[in-house]
Amino acid sequence: MDMVSMGLLAAMGALATVAGASEDLESDVGSQSNPNSQVQLAAQVGHPHRIYNKAISGEPPSNALYAALAAVTASVLMSGYGMNAFFAIAIGAVVAAIFNGIFSVTAYMGRNTSQARFNQYVYLDVLRTHTTAIMAHAYITAFCVVSISYIMTAPWLPIQHPFPFPLVALIWGLAIGAIGSSTGDVHYGGEREFQNYIFGAGLNAANSGDIVTKAEAGLRSSIDNVWFCARFGGPVTGMAFGLTVFLDNWRTTIFDPATQGWYAVLTGIVIVILFIVYNRILEIRARKRYGPYPEYKGDIEA
Amino acid sequence: MSVAAGGGAAKIDKTKLMMYGLGGGVLGIYLAHVLNEVTGTTYFSFLAGLGVIAAVVMGADATRRVCSYGIGTGVPSIGLMAMGMGLVAAMFGLSIGGVAGPIIGIAVSMGFGYFVGLLTNRIIKMNIPVMEETLMTLGGAGAIVLIGLGVMVSGVIDYRTIIGNVIDTGYIAIIFIAGSLAILHPFNANLGPDETQDRTLIHAVSAGALAMFATGLASLETIGSEGIISMIVAAIVWLVFFRRFFELVKRDSAGVKGTGLLPEGGL
Amino acid sequence: MIPPIDASMLVHIIEIVIGGLLVGIGVHFVPVGGAPAAMAQATGVGTGTVQLAAGSGLTGLLSAGLMMNYTDSIFLVVISGAVGAMIMIDATMIVGNWVYIYGVGAPLASAKANYDPITKDSQAPYVAPGTVGQGIPTVCFVSGTIGGLLGGAGGSLIYYVLLKINGDPGLSAFFAIGIFVVNAVIASYNIQGTIEGFHDPKFKRVPRAFQVCLVASLIIAIFAVLISGGH
Repeated sequence: MDMVSMGLLAAMGALATVAGASEDLESDVGSQSNPNSQVQLAAQVGHPHRIYNKAISGEPPSNALYAALAAVTASVLMSGYGMNAFFAIAIGAVVAAIFNGIFSVTAYMGRNTSQARFNQYVYLDVLRTHTTAIMAHAYITAFCVVSISYIMTAPWLPIQHPFPFPLVALIWGLAIGAIGSSTGDVHYGGEREFQNYIFGAGLNAANSGDIVTKAEAGLRSSIDNVWFCARFGGPVTGMAFGLTVFLDNWRTTIFDPATQGWYAVLTGIVIVILFIVYNRILEIRARKRYGPYPEYKGDIEA
Repeated sequence: MSVAAGGGAAKIDKTKLMMYGLGGGVLGIYLAHVLNEVTGTTYFSFLAGLGVIAAVVMGADATRRVCSYGIGTGVPSIGLMAMGMGLVAAMFGLSIGGVAGPIIGIAVSMGFGYFVGLLTNRIIKMNIPVMEETLMTLGGAGAIVLIGLGVMVSGVIDYRTIIGNVIDTGYIAIIFIAGSLAILHPFNANLGPDETQDRTLIHAVSAGALAMFATGLASLETIGSEGIISMIVAAIVWLVFFRRFFELVKRDSAGVKGTGLLPEGGL
Repeated sequence: MIPPIDASMLVHIIEIVIGGLLVGIGVHFVPVGGAPAAMAQATGVGTGTVQLAAGSGLTGLLSAGLMMNYTDSIFLVVISGAVGAMIMIDATMIVGNWVYIYGVGAPLASAKANYDPITKDSQAPYVAPGTVGQGIPTVCFVSGTIGGLLGGAGGSLIYYVLLKINGDPGLSAFFAIGIFVVNAVIASYNIQGTIEGFHDPKFKRVPRAFQVCLVASLIIAIFAVLISGGH
């Protein structure tokens, strides 16, 4: 362990935290991934809306695309044209953001058009105002993820991962998408879309599709949604990705994998056990705080 | 996804699409190879990309057919699986087959897809009648996309060149993921009760062109500035078909509004 | 060119098949509730099976790849991969639970078991009416950790074997991803999208996925070991 490795590790953790937050917010502006099913359902149960409906596959493949594209572009610029890494990655992220915009627009148009029988219009002003916000978040995500991948693979830095640079970006893109759709999106899908129901009630299956389409004044837009999710869902997603990147690399930074590989493995196992214990504490505290549901009358059929 | 309903009936027959997809894909790959070899340049690499677009259309149609059944895991997984099967088969074909590699790879991938479809229907009991046939098509499409874009980046059908230019540089990452998105995105983006086949397939062409553009970007380093031809061709194809897609959106949707409130009454 | 066939190749094929099976079975342990879980309508992580399994398994692959730079020990590489995947999936599940508890206000509960098989806690009183559970309770958490372990180990094992054969990290990693994805998708078809973990009745379907993954991995392994590195 030396100071340079430790500093790089800290930088990776910080970049990952920012990337996680912006990834989640990107999917919240666009209603991507699983909460999208409710946006999709809303029109069918009689609630047409002005919420962005961006179904670009699941988040993992789409974020893998942005990260891989940014990394490939950066790699071409660096090795083909000798460009400085910082600018190359920035330009790569711009290309990724443009692709993100194209995919978002086609998904919004396609999904809403396929709901013609439910009177769901295609609003061009929604496209104009939201797509840029989505692209901006995608830019930050792609930039951070590709920077992490570059730090891991650059030949002049200490980590020197054997995988090619775009491949590392692809894998981190998949991971960040999986994390974003598992964590922050729940805040959007479970709470923001259904704010008209009591806090903590979960979503009764009978209420599926009954999403909030009206705002304090006027109609709710996806910018309102991201405003809400930026308070909790986004930052904790950043926390999750930051933890993943940091803890995973921390083990091999403090213990030299060449001589102390087993220590690194053991540290990892200890971390996992701590996670399980912490989850149990969390579970107990939540149950104590909230108590059983008042409607509970005997066992419910699953 | 809870709603997995494909809408309108297929206007274009699946066998016809398969013929175009396979034929166009193989033709594109070989034309690119032969013309590049004969002229000693890499100007014709873009032809492989055009072949890939044909295969993407075929794959998108197969995705459309199988996902109309509601496979329970969402659309993306099947696109990833297509590329997973295609990847191993394509590299196997290229590795042992030399110039005949693409055909071997595509055949192996299709056979493997058919077999996996058979197993999922028989043992896992998916009971989706089109499973075998669509996984076969998807396997073929995945292999063509990988080989075609690989040839686009390296300029020739040669295993060593492809390993050096595509794998070791990591550019396969963009081929893999852009290719799978091109196959799965068209249906996923147009999913809904009023989905129409022509709109999905037009969208597939533009998504294929995006994959071609992204790969063209990578080929700037490997085959040099000739790669810009691929990018320009892809951009033109994308522009033309995006406009046509937008026309179809206007045709099919309840209304394309500049702005406005919600429609009266909803349902 | 097809390399000569010998006994070591057979061992390699078996190892790849084991890797594929680990992935296929590991996916069954990952508690995913799909789209309903993202709305606090079902127990589990609110994402798709393949997505989460791939996210964690491939993070493990990164750890394994890094470790393989330094060591030749198959155990160290495979376990490194497994630990990397476990850390990713655990961090995800912990933060997922934060969101369920603090963001959505729902206690963690499973609807597939009346009592948590590990902690013996009663589950039904904490299941919100009209839903099939929320969040990731202890049993699902442990199950998910096991899923990460198996998925990460499987992916790393495939990578280790392939790297031994062709000596090309990029090619091996991509093959590992390809084999991983095929097995994960097959497994996700078997569980039809959602599963809570090893206590879920759907878990009894594992033998079916085992058979399909066995055959599929075998075929793919035969092709994979025949590919040379080209160097």
